[in-house]
Amino acid sequence: MRSVAVLVFPGTNSEEETVRLLRVYGADARLVHWSCAQTLGEYDAYVLSGGFAYEDRIRAGAIAARDAMMDPVIDGARQGKLVMGICNGAQILLEAGLVPGSGDSRRPTAAFTRNVPPHFICKQVYVKLTVEPRRSIITAALAAGAVLPAWAAHGEGRLAAGAEQMAQIANENHLAFVYARADGRVDDAATPNGSALHCAGLVNRDGNVLALMPHPERVFPARSALFESFVKGVEAS
Amino acid sequence: MIDVALRGDERRRIAEALGREPTRVELYAFDAQWSEHCSYKSSRAHLRRLPTSGERVVLGPGEDAGILYLGEHDGERYAVVVAHESHNHPSQVVPFEGAATGVGGIVRDVLCMGAHVFGIADALRFGDVATPGTHRRHVAQAVVDGISAYGNAIGVPNLAGDAFFHEGFNENCLVNVIALGLVKEKEIVHSFAPPGSEGWPLVLVGKATDASGFGGASFSSLVLDAENEAANKGAVQVPDPFLENVLMRATYRVFALLHERGITAACKDLGAGGVMGCSAEICASGGYGARVDLDRINVAQANLPPEILAVGETQERMIFALPPEVVASVLRIYNEEFSLPEIAYNARAVVIGNVTKEKRYVLTHHGQAVMDVDIETLTKPREGALVPSEMGGARKVETASGAAELDAENPLSRLAALLSSLDGCSREPLYRRYDTVVRGCTVVPRGYADAGVVAPIPGSPLGVAVAVAGNPRYGVANPQLAAEYAVVEAVRKVVAVGARPIGLTDCLNFGNPTSAEHYAEFVAAVDGLAHTARDLGLPFVSGNVSFYNENASGKAIPASAIVACIGVLNDVARIVTPALKQAGSTLRFTRDIEEVLRAIQEGTVLACHVVTGDGVYAAAVEMACAAVRAGSELGVRLSDRLLRTDRGGFLLESSASCAEQVGTVLGEPIVVVGEASRSVREMYDAWAGRLDEIYA
Repeated sequence: MRSVAVLVFPGTNSEEETVRLLRVYGADARLVHWSCAQTLGEYDAYVLSGGFAYEDRIRAGAIAARDAMMDPVIDGARQGKLVMGICNGAQILLEAGLVPGSGDSRRPTAAFTRNVPPHFICKQVYVKLTVEPRRSIITAALAAGAVLPAWAAHGEGRLAAGAEQMAQIANENHLAFVYARADGRVDDAATPNGSALHCAGLVNRDGNVLALMPHPERVFPARSALFESFVKGVEAS
Repeated sequence: MIDVALRGDERRRIAEALGREPTRVELYAFDAQWSEHCSYKSSRAHLRRLPTSGERVVLGPGEDAGILYLGEHDGERYAVVVAHESHNHPSQVVPFEGAATGVGGIVRDVLCMGAHVFGIADALRFGDVATPGTHRRHVAQAVVDGISAYGNAIGVPNLAGDAFFHEGFNENCLVNVIALGLVKEKEIVHSFAPPGSEGWPLVLVGKATDASGFGGASFSSLVLDAENEAANKGAVQVPDPFLENVLMRATYRVFALLHERGITAACKDLGAGGVMGCSAEICASGGYGARVDLDRINVAQANLPPEILAVGETQERMIFALPPEVVASVLRIYNEEFSLPEIAYNARAVVIGNVTKEKRYVLTHHGQAVMDVDIETLTKPREGALVPSEMGGARKVETASGAAELDAENPLSRLAALLSSLDGCSREPLYRRYDTVVRGCTVVPRGYADAGVVAPIPGSPLGVAVAVAGNPRYGVANPQLAAEYAVVEAVRKVVAVGARPIGLTDCLNFGNPTSAEHYAEFVAAVDGLAHTARDLGLPFVSGNVSFYNENASGKAIPASAIVACIGVLNDVARIVTPALKQAGSTLRFTRDIEEVLRAIQEGTVLACHVVTGDGVYAAAVEMACAAVRAGSELGVRLSDRLLRTDRGGFLLESSASCAEQVGTVLGEPIVVVGEASRSVREMYDAWAGRLDEIYA
């Protein structure tokens, strides 16, 4: 069976529920604490969970993205290993340049930044899959146009990028998930943070790295079609 | 130099007890230990009247937190650890930091009992916030930001709470915080040095000591005075939730190690009185003394004077008394595995002294004893010192509720006005700044029902419900009645989700206890709490008293006995929320707690909501508003026959019709009373958005 590492940076706070939900779908998921970072290379896939890694100093995810713990994740992504980041994990993936780019330069081309209005918001939301499910091996087992419940819980979740990068995100199928109403309608009222393109989640070019701002793992009781699809993807990869 | 709050006669008593004049360090140490904040000297005699025992009580008041039996899962007996405190004075002076450190402190109070912290709650009382640019409006905003910043970062969901706005809090806000944790009954960690611990090392863990928070205990025991602003600000501690996040996780690891090895240790949060207060209480409560070398404390700055090292209230610190053979492993967990020194400047775990057989409390600094006193004299509870000679009466009566009386001619417009007022509106713009779902165990998030519900044991259907209550308008009218209502309302809120209440906590927020009038209010409130809790068969397992909540001219806050209730559910799948569910069903009113619990258990209740002083119509419209939020298009037709519901109760939605019905659920989103009707959506928008002007 393939193994999944759930990374714990100093300041991570959602590691327990994340590892628990991965196990619900049969994943061999383990917490990997920062003091054991040297073991990370041995894992087949990576999940970066929510929290405030390194206190979100400078920008959310900025320090963690440059931490040595991310070396095996970036190397693994390049080799085609699956990587999923939720909330702070998503911010870290963008800061590391893994999404929407390739992580080559560790330079971000887009960011999840300060909400509009500029406050932390905790709100139940729905996210809608806007790419073909098979665009990403992580979403391959979802239904086309799937609408999934999740919790937004962040202060910095608004997609921001330069005009060129934003056009690339929109035109090259990076926009994996948008905020929607329960019935699937997409509009500003369903978007809790002013995110550009109503963006809730982005995928990289090769489809093996997904960054999602809201938390599917906080819905009670814990069930998530996305986590299930991720675990299937890990076994298939 | 900071003022000490000790009175002249107490200084004389210190000198008498020592047989000499106290050293400077001793003076500050006694000032902290004998302060109202630490000693409850004015309240202890009355607090004894509260019921504190019962079959669910695992640990009553006395340590950092109380413990209630929750239930069994997989052959293990689990308990809920709960603590309730105020951080009023700091929050008034420096609201963001004051409120944030309030959360940090209460979380460590629960943590140090060996528990995994699974939730917090808050009860907030702010002044008139209508005018932008005022300090009181800033307080109302920054307190919420402080609680949000701290609770969110440490990853503990905010499960319940309330907020009131009343001019009586213009110069003295109230920030009451509650924390909840889960512990296996056999793995409870106590805060006293256990038998046989003579000679054990005392290990200080956490943030490097600095000059912040010096004089906090005695500062909370004085009336806030503008002239002391600089010193007051210095008495407020500095929060570091990032460090607390790591400290909590490291401490969970340490507890696991202690349980693996079958070691009984002592652990206690550093609160008022700093290193001195914490180490002295751990050792004295075990029947021992202590010797602490101040030079061994990890510090953030050089040359701190010994009194700051001894009693300063730097945050994010705890002390363990540990058997010598485990000390190296514990230091390694904190300092290496969780790398505390890299998380915050010079944060670490360090041995600072020992438990001693001789019952003295000795502090050394630069090789010299700077404090050497009898430990029992230092820590022994003091009481009765401040009872006024004559009790005053309660203050003038204010309209008991924010509810405007319903106008028979036009009930719906009055109702709409109430629901869009600061008293009656939704608190969602406030609590949506709080992470209510981190940890993935939240069953009913804050604001979705009268109580928050959490399933703290993954894989178990056992649930814990928590709610708070304490309406300041009742406090102004009648402190005893207000306290009674606070108990009843907190209990009802827990019952309304289908949970059986098992215990209570309280925080008693009052004015200056040396004023006969304010002391009488406090005594009356304790009367109210005591007999109501007894009538309901519920124990108080944790609590706190906060006096001196008054301005420089002696005007005190509304009498504020704030109560939290803890309830249990055998199966979280059976919870009930207030959102209306089904057109054609009926609404009925009852006050009978057992009837409500039985009906919910039987599955005949579609929705349930507590009726407060705002009345039954307001409760019904709130149920319709909750349905709108959940995406249902339901409304309600309400009987225009007058109902005596002024003492509050429950409104139940059920599919069975009944004789005593209050209303009928409609399939369209309108509220109808007699001939009048109004759109629920319109009322919802006014109700839901009112606080946006402060929290958007």
